[in-house]
Amino acid sequence: MIINMNVSIKEKTQIENSHPSQLYETDHSNEYIIEVQDLTKSFNGLKAVDGISLKIRKGELFSLLGPNGAGKSTTIRMLTTVLKPSNGDARITEYSLIKEKSKIKPLIGVCPQENVVFEALTAEDNVEFVGRMHGMNPADLKERTKFLLEKMNIAGRKKATKTFSGGMKRRLNLVMSLIHQPQILFLDEPSAGLDPQARRLVWDFIKELKNTGMTIVLTTHDMIEADALSDHIAIMDQGKIIAFGTLDELKSGSSNGNILELSFSTRKALIKAKNTLTQMKNVKSVKEMQNNKLTISFSGGIETFKQEILPNVDSFKSLHFREDSLEDIFLKLTGRGLRD
Amino acid sequence: MYSLDVKAWYIAKKNIKEKLKNLGSMFWTVAFPIMMLLVYKLAFSESDDVAMINGLTVFDVEFPGIVVYTIGMSTVTSAVMFAMSKVDGTLERIDSMPVSRGNVFLGAVISETIFMNLQLILVFGFGYGVLGAHFELAMLPLGYLIAMIFGIGCIGLGLIIASFLGSPEGANGIAMLSHMALMFVSGSFFPLDNAGVFFTPQYWVKQVYLQLTVVGDFFTDLLYSGTIILPTSEASFFPIWSGILIILAFTSTFIFLGIKIFQKKTSL
Repeated sequence: MIINMNVSIKEKTQIENSHPSQLYETDHSNEYIIEVQDLTKSFNGLKAVDGISLKIRKGELFSLLGPNGAGKSTTIRMLTTVLKPSNGDARITEYSLIKEKSKIKPLIGVCPQENVVFEALTAEDNVEFVGRMHGMNPADLKERTKFLLEKMNIAGRKKATKTFSGGMKRRLNLVMSLIHQPQILFLDEPSAGLDPQARRLVWDFIKELKNTGMTIVLTTHDMIEADALSDHIAIMDQGKIIAFGTLDELKSGSSNGNILELSFSTRKALIKAKNTLTQMKNVKSVKEMQNNKLTISFSGGIETFKQEILPNVDSFKSLHFREDSLEDIFLKLTGRGLRD
Repeated sequence: MYSLDVKAWYIAKKNIKEKLKNLGSMFWTVAFPIMMLLVYKLAFSESDDVAMINGLTVFDVEFPGIVVYTIGMSTVTSAVMFAMSKVDGTLERIDSMPVSRGNVFLGAVISETIFMNLQLILVFGFGYGVLGAHFELAMLPLGYLIAMIFGIGCIGLGLIIASFLGSPEGANGIAMLSHMALMFVSGSFFPLDNAGVFFTPQYWVKQVYLQLTVVGDFFTDLLYSGTIILPTSEASFFPIWSGILIILAFTSTFIFLGIKIFQKKTSL
């Protein structure tokens, strides 16, 4: 019997019922660096972002998680001053997004979803151009360009960036967004299109940046990325925030409980186990899957598993025990998967 | 809002680097005018014994047409540059930085102007220096200035084209089409004697440039209706200085409209 257990039972708090105009706060600290109030963006009458309100604490890594078309990038484009909101406002540091966007621009760094580079120029030229636009002095700019390009493994390349791979351009974009040491870094799908090795490099670097005290706002449709990096997560769908909290809060708030996947050698053994499990008090649901597998949702954590399930179901060949993933949470909240 | 500052220069520097690495653009802006000069020189050489006024050859009087063509190419290059910046996200990237659109436009005008200067130096060097086109030295700086003013107006036209088109390929096609059509309609490539020429800025540039720098006319003289080498050409009732006013009006109108329309179409 193979036992693959990934058990992490934590204290859970109930997530509040979400509402579009509800204000989401990462905690009750006064040091909020971003305060979004009823931010809305409509295109031809269609609301891409529908009155979201949230507060983000200084120095935290905040993720907007949601499927394509949820409104994440539109939110980022508004917060980075390139898209005018149809309604609402945001305060970034001390400045209003509507009235003082020219004061916000020097404080933020933006890594857009697409790889936006000047393709005829070298990596160094690209980074130096951005630095110049931010008014950096040549000596600092040269030194920091060298440091960041080396950090991202793209230093010393004299060819035009049009010869770069997608992954290299992605890393260059990240460098361009960081050259002027912004207070707030907006990353729109930062690891999209990266191979696992480059993705790990980017993640480690993002964690390093967070440790320097930089506030990072990222969008992703990758729950593993959100899980690996975020302090707080807002799940967006159809322009609204449908859930908000730390990963643990989200898991506890919409949780089915714990998930157990059992695999059986024969269908007869599966049916027998299914009948037994459905009669148990702490078992919420038993779903039959392909290849003689059962997915069991139950409450009571490891104790229920040890004292009730394991002694009564003994004919399985392997089991996998896990908590709800963000994918499960999203599925439960919206009725569809993150990639649908 | 940010004011115009040194950032416009860095934008210009970036634009020039991009232009120099674009071989297609370099061909149309530098190699093609040189090629046209050679073709004109070979086709309209002195040995053809064509009747001229004041001993001028067809090549001499058609040389201003090549100047107009060369400078007018900035319609195409600026249309492609701005359309590209809309499509590839670089305009939005710049918009997220502490730099004004004013700097972006000024940067484009500076880079295009520097490039136009390089083009003019090459065309002058080759046309006047190597191929021996006739010119009046004292009036040449004025001709140069007129060409540059026209070139800046062409950037405005390029901006208008880029505002309406969603791809650099489309912008390139429409800009090239309008540039070439205006070159022919204005009689800049080959002399035309009809009233239609008066409605093209290229006509005024070519005619003023021609009469000042080739024939040696002055501002007291009248503009010719078509080209001064044709027997049918007659002096119009426009004095040469009115031609300069028309060129200035074209430039200011197209730059103003170009900036306004591009801003309107790209402000999100």
